[in-house]
Amino acid sequence: MREDKAQRRKRIINIIGKEWKSTFGNLNSALFITLLPLIITAQAVILIYLVMKFAGAEVLVKTLLGKGMESWLTTFPALGELPLIERFQVFFFAQFPFYLLLIPVMVAVSFATFSIVEEKQEGTLEPLLATPVRTWELLSGKALAGAIPSLLITWFCAGLFLAGIIGMGSGHLLKYILNAQWFISLFLLVPLFSLLAFILGVIASSRANDPKTAQNIAILVVLPILAIIGGQLIGFTVFTLARLFFLSIIAGVLNLFVLRAAVRLFQRESIVVRWR
Amino acid sequence: MSVIIESFDLTRKFGNLTAVEDLNVRVKKGEILGFLGPNGAGKTTSIRMLAGTIAPTKGYAVVAGIRPDKEVEKLHEIIGLLTETPGFYERLTAKENLLYFARFYRINSDLQVDKYLKKMDLWERRNHKVGTFSKGMKQRLALARALVHEPEVLFLDEPTAGLDPKSAREVRQLILKLREEGRTIFLSTHNLEEAELLCDRIAVFRTKLVVLDTPYNLRNSLFQRQVIVELEAVDDNIVNRVKGLDFVLNVGKDGRQLIIELKDFDDNRPALIKCIVESNGRIQSVFEKKHSLEEIYLTLIKEGGGMEHEGR
Ligand SMILES: Nc1ncnc2c1ncn2[C@@H]1O[C@H](COP(=O)(O)OP(=O)(O)OP(=O)(O)O)[C@@H](O)[C@H]1O
Ligand SMILES: [Mg+2]
Repeated sequence: MREDKAQRRKRIINIIGKEWKSTFGNLNSALFITLLPLIITAQAVILIYLVMKFAGAEVLVKTLLGKGMESWLTTFPALGELPLIERFQVFFFAQFPFYLLLIPVMVAVSFATFSIVEEKQEGTLEPLLATPVRTWELLSGKALAGAIPSLLITWFCAGLFLAGIIGMGSGHLLKYILNAQWFISLFLLVPLFSLLAFILGVIASSRANDPKTAQNIAILVVLPILAIIGGQLIGFTVFTLARLFFLSIIAGVLNLFVLRAAVRLFQRESIVVRWR
Repeated sequence: MSVIIESFDLTRKFGNLTAVEDLNVRVKKGEILGFLGPNGAGKTTSIRMLAGTIAPTKGYAVVAGIRPDKEVEKLHEIIGLLTETPGFYERLTAKENLLYFARFYRINSDLQVDKYLKKMDLWERRNHKVGTFSKGMKQRLALARALVHEPEVLFLDEPTAGLDPKSAREVRQLILKLREEGRTIFLSTHNLEEAELLCDRIAVFRTKLVVLDTPYNLRNSLFQRQVIVELEAVDDNIVNRVKGLDFVLNVGKDGRQLIIELKDFDDNRPALIKCIVESNGRIQSVFEKKHSLEEIYLTLIKEGGGMEHEGR
């Protein structure tokens, strides 16, 4: 029925509108969402710049990073044509998309926990559930409200990072960086990980009564991301195209798994009776 | 009059605890039914089942022709629910809050929101954050939220709980106005005066329905009406003469007062007084002993579930 569809869209837009008004109307959460990603990005650029400038290729080669660089080279032989120092640069730049995953994860977790714990604390969930809104509309509305700004800002930061590379005078290395891995990370892993973080945020919020506790639980998603970055840097593993796809599939399956749990938890009945 | 809310053996358990047991209740269109019971009686649980926010363990209900456990969204289009502790987004204004809830219905939300902001006397404060509102204002805003889509059936869970006497009175007047508009109201309370003041019928409830009747019938069916005659002095002659009357059921003595229970209270009172006068009793005053609803209630609650009957 077309009217129903329009009604559904109207309700979801209503939810998104309210979420944005609350989130961006609050200085703390607005700053958190916009400033944190910029800091993360700037930090990455500056860090790489400092390491390159003060450590030098000869020093790096002798560290664990040298081993990481070597395994990287076997996967991307094209890098062999570059001088050692630039190989290291590309190697570091290539870690950024994973590092970037931290942004949507943190934004999604705070969106989910703030918005749901707030509803719990204020006692707005029961009146909300007495309206004709479907619980899945509520869940999707909140998810979209968090996902849209977080993806936009993440992609904006990716652009900023590329601009930073050019600013460092390494623009000619872009062709080694903007490979399939880069795009898969940005357009597949980033949405998948933010969804995962959001859902975990919802699940944690249903149990916790303040945003901090909920965030502490949900932020566990960060651990695998740090593991990926760490693993690559020390040459433990290289995320080739195939492995990236495999990682995406795992993230996708994990999403389905937690989504089912969240949907069950997000029934009228459970919210009214069990969320305390 | 037609029945608009009806429940059939509505039961809800939480683990081993039975919160509501075999509730069979019928509410007629346009009446205010009071659901009266102590803390933990299961009032909120009953309302939640009728309003479809939780499912019954057993039994079912029909509200305005809709089964709450089957078509909850459809039901929510036409009922209003004032929850026990109605919360708001404290950082948003009264109007923003109301608009948010109104937009979930198929109504002209701007028009309706303005209408109810005015009706609940919140128009002047519409652009203030709800966090700055008093409890009474929040309750009026909560009523506006429950009414914004013009529901025919309203569930009000303790609408005056925690309000000062003045705000409580305002809310009660609003509720009476809603009945005049022809809405059916299912109201839970543990305040007896409120139940008597507002309700066409009262259901005394503690896990089970104890009794359901009009406030007037509740009084009469539970207690014989008693007349109290205050005399200058009470002597045995008077007591014996009164006891001899065939319509007198019981005579008690309390200082200079005679407390008399009699059949056909209104018809036989003159004959009783005549008898006392003829026995040389010097009557100072005569009045009826009224049982407060509170006594009735306490009696019923003590008996608990002992006398299930449904009056008209
Ligand atoms: N979500 C729940 N989980 C477990 N037990 C519950 C739950 N909700 C209610 N109960 C139990 O069911 C019983 C009835 O509770 P309910 O809230 O319906 O009573 P009430 O009449 O509304 O009381 P009050 O006047 O205090 O609001 C109580 O014993 C309560 O502890
Ligand atoms: Mg209650």
